[in-house]
Amino acid sequence: METESRKKALEYFFGKVVGPMGFKFTPDPELKDFLLEQEVMLETKHGIPFCPCQPVRHNRIRDMQIVCPCIPFHRKHFDAIKRCWCGLFVHTDVIDPESLPQLPPQDVGLE
Amino acid sequence: MSDKFIGAISTDEIAPGGMKTVELNGRQIVICNCDGTYYAMERRCGHMNAPLELGTLDGKFVTCPMHCAQFDVTTGQALSGPVPRDMGNERIPPKLAVFLEQVGMQMQHIRTESIRTCKTKVEAGWVHAAP
Repeated sequence: METESRKKALEYFFGKVVGPMGFKFTPDPELKDFLLEQEVMLETKHGIPFCPCQPVRHNRIRDMQIVCPCIPFHRKHFDAIKRCWCGLFVHTDVIDPESLPQLPPQDVGLE
Repeated sequence: MSDKFIGAISTDEIAPGGMKTVELNGRQIVICNCDGTYYAMERRCGHMNAPLELGTLDGKFVTCPMHCAQFDVTTGQALSGPVPRDMGNERIPPKLAVFLEQVGMQMQHIRTESIRTCKTKVEAGWVHAAP
């Protein structure tokens, strides 16, 4: 399987899903490329493109909640920090993802 | 692949996002309508030979109905292999479990190969392909 082609395919499929949820890909092209590549590697290993910054615990219910794009499962947290955990997706109004703080759920009034 | 085009199907027989199988020169070819642009590829999945026209076409990506392997219809390139399935907590009868284990052992050696594509052109409301 060709990594570059798969990255483009994932970009296409993810873009269709996250747009209606109010998210877009990070404007940082290098980060986007790196994260998509990690997801292709995870997909090659597990058959599923898991979030690159979360551990796969081999607990089906938990693991399904970190399949990229995992926005629906962690919507409140991501809306509060305007990005997803790994930073592949940011709110559509974000132009400078570097300025977004990475706060744990308890710091934004969750959990 | 040849350069001899053969009339395959009328353009109004496939809606955008649709796929249809035709037989040209003894080969089964799937014609795909990607939002008005037509592509042709071999019918059989590069993983386990499932008929791809029964899968889904999204943009230029086709997903196999059997194990969800994906291919680029413009190049035939394999983009992903089979997706693992969850058997859930349902108890599997012992004999079936042994059978599934055997099948699983064999399946893990199956590679997902790219599939062949054909050139296409549209003339007078017909899609022509060169199988």
